[in-house]
Amino acid sequence: MNTTALLVALYPPPVRERWGDDLSREIASGGPRSWPDTIVGAVWLWTRPSDWPERAPGQTRRLVLVELAAAATFVALLLRAAGQPTARFTVSFDHPVTSAWAAVIVAGFLLAAPLPPRWAAVRRLPAVFLRTLAAPAAAFTAMYLLAHSGLSAHPADVGRYLAPCYYWATLAFIGLRLCRLARRVFALVAPPSTPRLSLATLLVAIGLALAAAQNLASEPASSGRAALSVGLGGIAIAALATSRDLRRVARQDGGG
Amino acid sequence: MHSNDAQLLVLTALADGEKHGYAINTAIKELTGARLGPGSLYGALARLEARRLIESAAEPAGQKDRQRIVRITAAGREALRAELEQMTHVAQVGLRALRQAPA
Repeated sequence: MNTTALLVALYPPPVRERWGDDLSREIASGGPRSWPDTIVGAVWLWTRPSDWPERAPGQTRRLVLVELAAAATFVALLLRAAGQPTARFTVSFDHPVTSAWAAVIVAGFLLAAPLPPRWAAVRRLPAVFLRTLAAPAAAFTAMYLLAHSGLSAHPADVGRYLAPCYYWATLAFIGLRLCRLARRVFALVAPPSTPRLSLATLLVAIGLALAAAQNLASEPASSGRAALSVGLGGIAIAALATSRDLRRVARQDGGG
Repeated sequence: MHSNDAQLLVLTALADGEKHGYAINTAIKELTGARLGPGSLYGALARLEARRLIESAAEPAGQKDRQRIVRITAAGREALRAELEQMTHVAQVGLRALRQAPA
């Protein structure tokens, strides 16, 4: 995949289908100087579902659900990268106050849960799960076996650098496949109404903002912790913009 | 560039006839001296189409010519006229104030 195709792939699928060829031509003629604007444009469009051309009813809402799943995956990877949580950031039933951010996010995801699919769609789900998760399950198994084989206990010089790369590549691959699974499953279900989706996205934004603030207030301060807060805050801002846009759509439609 | 500015420039470029994306950007360069970035241009086109201020003039004919040609709608013309009149009013007020102010 060349850089132009990679940049076009950053755009929401409906926009890509509509404008992908023209966009490729413009990026190719603009060269590397056009790349930052292209990336900013992609981020801007992901937070404006009302601008996505809709070919079928509910397509936009299904894609917002995939967006939420992608955000959850990205947050999980960020938290994994951050390592051990601090006392102020711990999530457990024993620490309800420090867990509030996670509770708000879970409430948002529960609110965004799609309506149950029809029986005909339910029968297709096992095949969808098998087809999508077979490869990441194999990758995870391979990583698990490698980790418990003893080879990783005393890695050679090259292995010392390759092992973390392999670990993160596997996690990223699993994350991408989970997003693909979300896309395939959400294509089979009835999406929630636009007002419900707007409220759900708002709760996710609030939860992420709380997480970013709590993490930043944790002791001891470190650049890694600041980076985590910036990441969480960035996703919170994107979720908030998406929620506002969906609320505007809901007002125009008079409901989902 | 601010997204509203990009939308205004795209509408202005389309005011004298239908164009594809590259031609719109060429018209904008003639008007302002600089092309819009790809993200600004296609973000503006997507938003304008969603608001029904522009529409597809013709579907791409074949695999070799897949450029989408768009044109301004009646609502787009009205929105552009209102925006330009407001800008003209602001420009007139500003210029008058500059003439009256002591140097």
